[in-house]
Amino acid sequence: MTDGLTRLQLLRRATAGGAFLTVPGVLAACGGTSKKAASTTANKTLAKTLRFSNWTLYIDIDEKTKRHPTLDAFKKKTGTTVQYTEDINDNATYFGKIQGPLSRGQSIDRDIIVMTDNSRYPSLLIKKGWVEKLDKSAIPNIKNLEPTLQHPNWDPNRDYSLPWQSGLTGIAYNDKLTDPVLTVPDLLENPKLKGKITLLQGVGDTMPLIMAANGDDPTKVTDASWNRAFKVVKKAVDSGQIRQFTGNDYSGPLAKGDLNACFAWSGDVVQLEADNKHLHWNLPKDGGGIWTDNMLIPKGGNVYTASVYMNYYYEPKVAAAVEDYVNYICPVVGAKEVLLKEDPSIAKNTLIFPTKAMLANAHNFDAAALNNEKYITAWQNLISG
Amino acid sequence: MGFLHRHRNLTPYSLLAPGLLYLGLFFVVPLGFLAYQSLESGNFDVGYAFTWAWGNYWDAIRNYRGHFIRSLEYAGIATVLALLFGYPLAYWIAFRGGRWKNLLLLFIVAPFFVTYLIRTLAWESILADHGPVVSVLRDVGILGNDGRLLATSTAVVAGITYNFFPFMALPLYVSLEQIDQRLIEAAQDLYASKWKAFLRITLPLSLPGVVAGTLLTFIPAAGDFINAQLLGSPKNHMIGNVIQSKFLELTDYPAAASMSFVLMATILVMVALYARAVGTEKLTG
Amino acid sequence: MTSTTLEVGRPRESPFARIWALVKHHVLTVYALLAFVYLMLPIAIVIAFSFNNPVGRFNYTWSSFTLNNWKNWDGVPGLRSAMVLSLEIALLASIVATLLGTLIALALVRYGFRGRAATNFLIFLPLSTPEIVLGASLLTLFLNLSIVFGFWTIIIAHVMFCISFAVVTVKARLIGFDRHLEEAAMDLGANEWVTFRKVTLPLIAPAILAALLLCFAISIDDFVVTYFVAGSRTTFPLFVWGAARVGAPPQVNVIATFIFAVAVIGMVLNVLVQMRRERAAATA
Repeated sequence: MTDGLTRLQLLRRATAGGAFLTVPGVLAACGGTSKKAASTTANKTLAKTLRFSNWTLYIDIDEKTKRHPTLDAFKKKTGTTVQYTEDINDNATYFGKIQGPLSRGQSIDRDIIVMTDNSRYPSLLIKKGWVEKLDKSAIPNIKNLEPTLQHPNWDPNRDYSLPWQSGLTGIAYNDKLTDPVLTVPDLLENPKLKGKITLLQGVGDTMPLIMAANGDDPTKVTDASWNRAFKVVKKAVDSGQIRQFTGNDYSGPLAKGDLNACFAWSGDVVQLEADNKHLHWNLPKDGGGIWTDNMLIPKGGNVYTASVYMNYYYEPKVAAAVEDYVNYICPVVGAKEVLLKEDPSIAKNTLIFPTKAMLANAHNFDAAALNNEKYITAWQNLISG
Repeated sequence: MGFLHRHRNLTPYSLLAPGLLYLGLFFVVPLGFLAYQSLESGNFDVGYAFTWAWGNYWDAIRNYRGHFIRSLEYAGIATVLALLFGYPLAYWIAFRGGRWKNLLLLFIVAPFFVTYLIRTLAWESILADHGPVVSVLRDVGILGNDGRLLATSTAVVAGITYNFFPFMALPLYVSLEQIDQRLIEAAQDLYASKWKAFLRITLPLSLPGVVAGTLLTFIPAAGDFINAQLLGSPKNHMIGNVIQSKFLELTDYPAAASMSFVLMATILVMVALYARAVGTEKLTG
Repeated sequence: MTSTTLEVGRPRESPFARIWALVKHHVLTVYALLAFVYLMLPIAIVIAFSFNNPVGRFNYTWSSFTLNNWKNWDGVPGLRSAMVLSLEIALLASIVATLLGTLIALALVRYGFRGRAATNFLIFLPLSTPEIVLGASLLTLFLNLSIVFGFWTIIIAHVMFCISFAVVTVKARLIGFDRHLEEAAMDLGANEWVTFRKVTLPLIAPAILAALLLCFAISIDDFVVTYFVAGSRTTFPLFVWGAARVGAPPQVNVIATFIFAVAVIGMVLNVLVQMRRERAAATA
């Protein structure tokens, strides 16, 4: 699995849709109009089909017709059918699958995929050159992107990605079983919580909160700050304070009272709260985590069509329609206003539309640290005994 | 061997050919690729190169010896438990099942119809800290006041036992069902007690099933990762979890490949010893 | 005339002895029932929660009873097609795997041939290979062969890892198989094929059925290998794993319950038909 590309592979990629590399393509991009009629170059034509891979149950659904209204509306507006596949259910596993073809220079037959930036994979994809740059000239609505999400450390100019949904990582607790747990030190050192808490198994989920509690900046990790945070977690593992490291399977035990408190994602707690009024969620005062599921264009995907779709999603009305169903955090400014009229209960829920203060207090994890072999090997050894 | 096919030397090969060719193409070839990977060195950034990196194997054993041993332990205990629980059940279905045998077999594999995740979540409900089982165990004194079942090695072994139960029960049934009941009656006519008849007649005749069941349970269980992930704490993780993380999170394919081979070799050595101990081809074919 | 009748017959049993005999006779049945309860406990919970009406997306705590999930069983897009695909694959894969496996088992048990030990070894290898590397290697193979991912790649993978289970299961039956019955049939003039069809096959049928059942169960439940080779198709386990992230809808429980119920009803009907036939044959 060496990285070198043969000329044959380069050619294969170019014909598969990276045509913007051609001179006319570049000129057209500079020209900046998206008038389909005027353009004669291949890259400004909408494909008949947009192949979109996403996570399960992550887009609006009409339960009666079992269709996705926003996708149908997109077809009506542009004539492009969206071939929507829900075949992503875990970043690592999905990457494990697509790295096969991508490392051989083959296309994975997708125009848009969605991966989370609390994992190393979006930055790894960019580093390996396995994603295409967005055609920003086709995405004027990019101005609607939530300001705090505009410059993530792994894609500072949003050249390759656009958020689909976000989530916050904080501490959830069950008020029937424990006093409010609002800080990381309380969670990890309170003897009453011994064996009744879990942390998240993603290093990019857990470490931002630990580092923030230590007073360090999670977006700029150094050996020193890493070691400090690692020591804190290791102590809690060895003492038996931490029961398990979970993916989102903390939701069952939290709902049933096996856990008094845990690191949890805002979107999950929105749903769990509805059935169990004793569950609460907060960003730790020192700082919480924010993660984003990002739309990316894999190599070989049709850049223009994908970009046009992204522009469509960034219309507040469309984003609001999806948000009304998905209930994670919407990255599109203006969607809240739309929902205030149509579904106020969702618009007013700060777990779905967090305040500016909340967003300012939530941090990404340093992508360089996510890819640092020393760190991640140590982390995996810690969570796997 | 029977006189039936004494003249046809090619018959065994023609019987074997379809299956073995299939396995040859779709298992051995991928395995070869895996072996090649296990001897590579490098990392994901700069790529991998084949360097006869036997050090990968040595590293795997050295760094994760505890996990290997733990996996064999858990799989072994689970296999024994599955045998103890499964034998009487298979016996009952074989001898008392009558015409309902097939339906009863269906009930044994029923849990597989609801996917792994759902049935594990259901067990998490049953074994919850505030649930009925743990409460009873606490009252009875088996568990301390703060004791729990989930996120312990007990839960992991229990999960493995449950999930591999059909792999033990079905081969046991297959072997028990063909025992001619008249042999047992004859033994009893000769004044053997029911228990003695069982020990002297039924048990020995069912040994092929016991061997088959233990192998079909132990071997895959040793490489399992999911029970440990959902039901265990970090101290309970098995080698399957490590291989999983090497491959997915750390994209360290040579390490994952070499660890897999160490696991496979260990298991196969144990199987060979087991077959030797249990004795002849009569039982293992 | 005094009759001195010899008291031939059972000595008077104490009530304890009678109860003990009763217990001994039924202890196995009681055990079997408890074992089935143990096996079916999670299924019971799944069935119960198919009637739950959670307020949020997660189906963990009981909220209120509803029949809506059953009425709207098809309301989740992709769920039904995922289940249908899983069933199709499981059916086809288990049949092919059992067929290939039975042939191998016959060869292994009945013949001595060169490479017997190696074949046994080869059969056990797939069982011991961790699924993650198996899936990834198979993915690489398919990429190198330029095979399109989808239904057939899933079938190929499932047959591959099911063959070993079929071989070992059928072998357990063939060892200890009484060859004299076959010899008797041949003595009576049947050729090999007829003997196989009329004597051997019926006698190993329970093993073949058990192998089919086992392979079916393994195939319908497989996740890791399937994930790697499925391309854009989604099987039931893949769907559920994905849905669990945001909360698997109760319809998942409904569909699983439904499939299970259909299988049970099918088997019960089979038995009833059998009983009817026997009764008809007896009175004929």
